[in-house]
Amino acid sequence: MGVFGVELRRRHEACRGGDRCGGGVLGRPLRFLVIDNQTNPTQALAAARSFDAQDKVLVISGPTSSDNALAIYGYAEQNQVPFLVPVAAFPQLTKPGTQWTFRLEPAAVGWGYSIAKFVEQKKPGAKIAIMYSDFALMRAIAAGLKYQIPRSNLTAGPEIVFPQGSSDATIQATQVRAASPDYVVVIGAGAFDNTITNQLLDLGVKPDQIIHPFGFTTNILGWGARSVGSYFGTFFDHDLDGVTAEGKKFIKDFAEKNGRPPSYIENFCYTTPYVIKQAIEQAGTVDRAKFRDALRALQTKETTSGVPIAFDKNGARQEYIYYMQITSMDVAKKEYSAKQVFYMEWSPEVIPVYDLVK
Amino acid sequence: MVDPNLLIGLSMLTTGLVLGAIFALTAAGVTIVYGCIWLPNAASGQFFLLAPLVAWSLSTAMGWSPILAVAAVLIAGLPFAYLLERLLIRRFYDVPDRNIAYFVVTLGITQILSGVFSITWGQWSDQYNIPPLAEGVVFIGPFPLPANRLIALVGALALLGALFVGLRYHRFGRALRAVFQNREAAALRGVDVQRIYLGAFLLGTSVIFAGGLLYAMAYSFDLSVAWSMGITAFAIMIVGGPGSVLGALVVGMLFGFVQAAVSVFASPTAATLSYLLAMLVILLLRPSGLFAR
Repeated sequence: MGVFGVELRRRHEACRGGDRCGGGVLGRPLRFLVIDNQTNPTQALAAARSFDAQDKVLVISGPTSSDNALAIYGYAEQNQVPFLVPVAAFPQLTKPGTQWTFRLEPAAVGWGYSIAKFVEQKKPGAKIAIMYSDFALMRAIAAGLKYQIPRSNLTAGPEIVFPQGSSDATIQATQVRAASPDYVVVIGAGAFDNTITNQLLDLGVKPDQIIHPFGFTTNILGWGARSVGSYFGTFFDHDLDGVTAEGKKFIKDFAEKNGRPPSYIENFCYTTPYVIKQAIEQAGTVDRAKFRDALRALQTKETTSGVPIAFDKNGARQEYIYYMQITSMDVAKKEYSAKQVFYMEWSPEVIPVYDLVK
Repeated sequence: MVDPNLLIGLSMLTTGLVLGAIFALTAAGVTIVYGCIWLPNAASGQFFLLAPLVAWSLSTAMGWSPILAVAAVLIAGLPFAYLLERLLIRRFYDVPDRNIAYFVVTLGITQILSGVFSITWGQWSDQYNIPPLAEGVVFIGPFPLPANRLIALVGALALLGALFVGLRYHRFGRALRAVFQNREAAALRGVDVQRIYLGAFLLGTSVIFAGGLLYAMAYSFDLSVAWSMGITAFAIMIVGGPGSVLGALVVGMLFGFVQAAVSVFASPTAATLSYLLAMLVILLLRPSGLFAR
């Protein structure tokens, strides 16, 4: 197996050590080959070529970004190498006709769709403002949200797009405040997400009017204690209602090692080797085509949360999302708590996901 | 219920002021160096970025208080500029058409610094926030301005005022202006021109560092700010008139308000291009700049 990504590598090594994957599969030890792609698409592609042509791996796993995953996608499809991506939300990775690529993370357009469904349930007819940075991921989320807003009988408030490299949102936050929306969806890039959030709060927007489509530990802590009451979407959180015993152990071990709770990204990395092992067991062989077919037919659950794992004909995962509300935060201790307020599952193509984002 | 138009108007006013003051200060640093040494510093944007990046590392990774980090970077900027002047800049003082040589040399520095930033800070984060020097907001009428941003505004205006007074009334400032105007005549009047060059480079670089630090106090930033601010400072210098601190002040403020106004009436994306368009229009009307000496 060829592996990218620090956390993914740790999980695979843990798997080899036998704590989750029983030390091997089909009576043989699992062997993992690791290359650091430096988060560089060119290097990622070169590494994929090396994994395939020289090492003859069964499956390539990683990376944890859409840019790098897209760089490998074409190679994997053309050369018929199974490619299991833990974290990459750009929809076109599983566009119609995809044969060899599978993705654990739901597509970003669906995240936007789910925000509308969340708000529809929370406050029918609500008015939603959108503020987002002009990056592919943010555009995809906004596209899903804008598509679903009228279908959920909601109203679109101001829509504000920030160019890449933006660092101030004072005027736009004021414009949003002046429009009096019920909710503001904030999708900023990096620290700019914190800037927009804080400027909205400065202007008197209430924390429980702010929805972040996704939240992982470091950016939740970046929003700061003022954001207690805000909502965020996630695919795993240490405060989920349904965390299993294994999930609790994963959270405890991760927190001891890293000084903070894991978020959904680490959970996808945790889950990936388990999915690979199950597919090999079901295939009963290390033939690539049979392994691919086994992945397609896989019906399993995340061992940390019990959420179903199944892929559609294009390798897209059956989508799901949780919405959490932050209930307390101690930034210095890198701790926060949140309560689960919404959960939904849906088929990826319940919205025209591949038409909304090209 | 506060009038939404009043809120938006005040947000435009404060944004224009903060942006304009930082633009003006940074452009003043660029124009002092260009006007005196005839050095079009293509690396000014990278210098602008270097200061807050170091302050970010000191305050977040090493746990320094933000005030201490900002002060340390400002002080460290002086030996940095001194070494650069001694090792590189002064070698070109007597080269004919040295502005072209300087431009090429500083382009090289730009590339080197840009590469260094991307393999160091670029690997550690994609956006940077210096912890605030002061928490909370200050109300300007009904509009809440973050206290940190108010400090940045006051700091920029104070530095601009000090620059203006210093260049006009201090002995060094008068000598520097004399070299601006005619270096041969200044030398004949007993001004040590090479010493003034050194002073101008130290002053200009420190002012650019201060601009970067104040910007980072007011806003989050990423590595791309080096390019956008480098171009903006150059544009302000050219429109204001190369070597004119007054020009930098007036045009910097103008650009800040243009950006804020376009942001209100069009979009943030249009705002980032608006002042460059303003530059083209002004240069069409006054090709040598508004305050050309």
